[in-house]
Amino acid sequence: MICNSKSKVVCQFHVFVMLLSIFIRESLCYPKNSFLLTSTHSCIRGLQVQRAKGIHSYCQWFLCRRVPSRLNIQKRGVKSRKSQTRSQEDDWRKRNKTVLTYIAAAGVGMIGLSYAAVPLYRLYCQASGLGGTAVAGHNAEQVETMAPVKDRVLKITFNADTHASIQWNFRPQQSEIYVVPGETALAFYRAKNPTDKPVIGISTYNVVPFEAGQYFNKIQCFCFEEQRLNPKEEVDMPVFFYIDPEFDEDPRMARVDTITLSYTFFEAKEGQKLPLPGYSLTSQHS
Amino acid sequence: MSTAMNFSSKSFRPRAPDKGSFPLDHFGECKAFKEKFMTCLKDNSYDNSLCRLQSKEYLECRMDNQLMAKEPLEKLGFKDLLDKPSQENQVKP
Repeated sequence: MICNSKSKVVCQFHVFVMLLSIFIRESLCYPKNSFLLTSTHSCIRGLQVQRAKGIHSYCQWFLCRRVPSRLNIQKRGVKSRKSQTRSQEDDWRKRNKTVLTYIAAAGVGMIGLSYAAVPLYRLYCQASGLGGTAVAGHNAEQVETMAPVKDRVLKITFNADTHASIQWNFRPQQSEIYVVPGETALAFYRAKNPTDKPVIGISTYNVVPFEAGQYFNKIQCFCFEEQRLNPKEEVDMPVFFYIDPEFDEDPRMARVDTITLSYTFFEAKEGQKLPLPGYSLTSQHS
Repeated sequence: MSTAMNFSSKSFRPRAPDKGSFPLDHFGECKAFKEKFMTCLKDNSYDNSLCRLQSKEYLECRMDNQLMAKEPLEKLGFKDLLDKPSQENQVKP
């Protein structure tokens, strides 16, 4: 690099521009570090050096100024840096501790929430009637006030099963029936006891698809109670039910057109009582 | 009960009927009404909406013969069938 009088002016101008840019940068970033001060100090020293050593050497010194000034900074602040790092470490430790306590509290809170969720969910289900849980008193008024949704025709198919140990002939009297949601419907099953002994049966039912089961409301049927058939007796067993009108508004039920109601009869021993979902046996026929 | 052991699928829960269980009609007292209802269903290709009158009559028979707890028919969803005669009376004159 050629250094002459012109380059001296250029170097000085360069120093000035650089200082200016550094000032601007420092003002935009954090004003903490003492880089600016040290750099100005080194600049001033550099100018003094220039007078002593000459232009060329000054320029050279100026050009390779950067690296030493950085080292200077590091050498300069060692003692203060040690105390700084200690307080910084203390700060970090404090911060870590608070963060850890927060995380631990959150973890304990989550565990507690998972334990509390069980009774809370049960309460919520009872209040909202989701998942097929019985909602007491809700259905009685609904039957009176519901309006049939005439444009949604559903096919209800019937199925009858018996457990292997019961010898009844149990079958539906109609294979299917077409209903609309909101309209009460009647269906019949027939059971015959071909044996010579009275047999007591008890039945349960199932609705497929499972999600439609929550909309399938039975007003009266013959399930969950012991039914006694005398020898060679044949009876008609009615089921009086309706599909909840809200069935039409459920997007999951949009493609459901067929609902299958399936009853299964089991043999009951004398005095045996099946555990019923929220139903008391004291009310019915005495 | 359902045997599908999926995590996401809801299992089916049987619910007790709202008004309990029908007593068995051991003597066939309402058999005639039942037969009327079944023939109506067969004639109308098993459409329930067209046979509601017969189902109402069957339930009335049950109530008359102590085979069902007496309930006003509106509560059984037959409000529209009960309103009709009064409406016809009003419309005629």
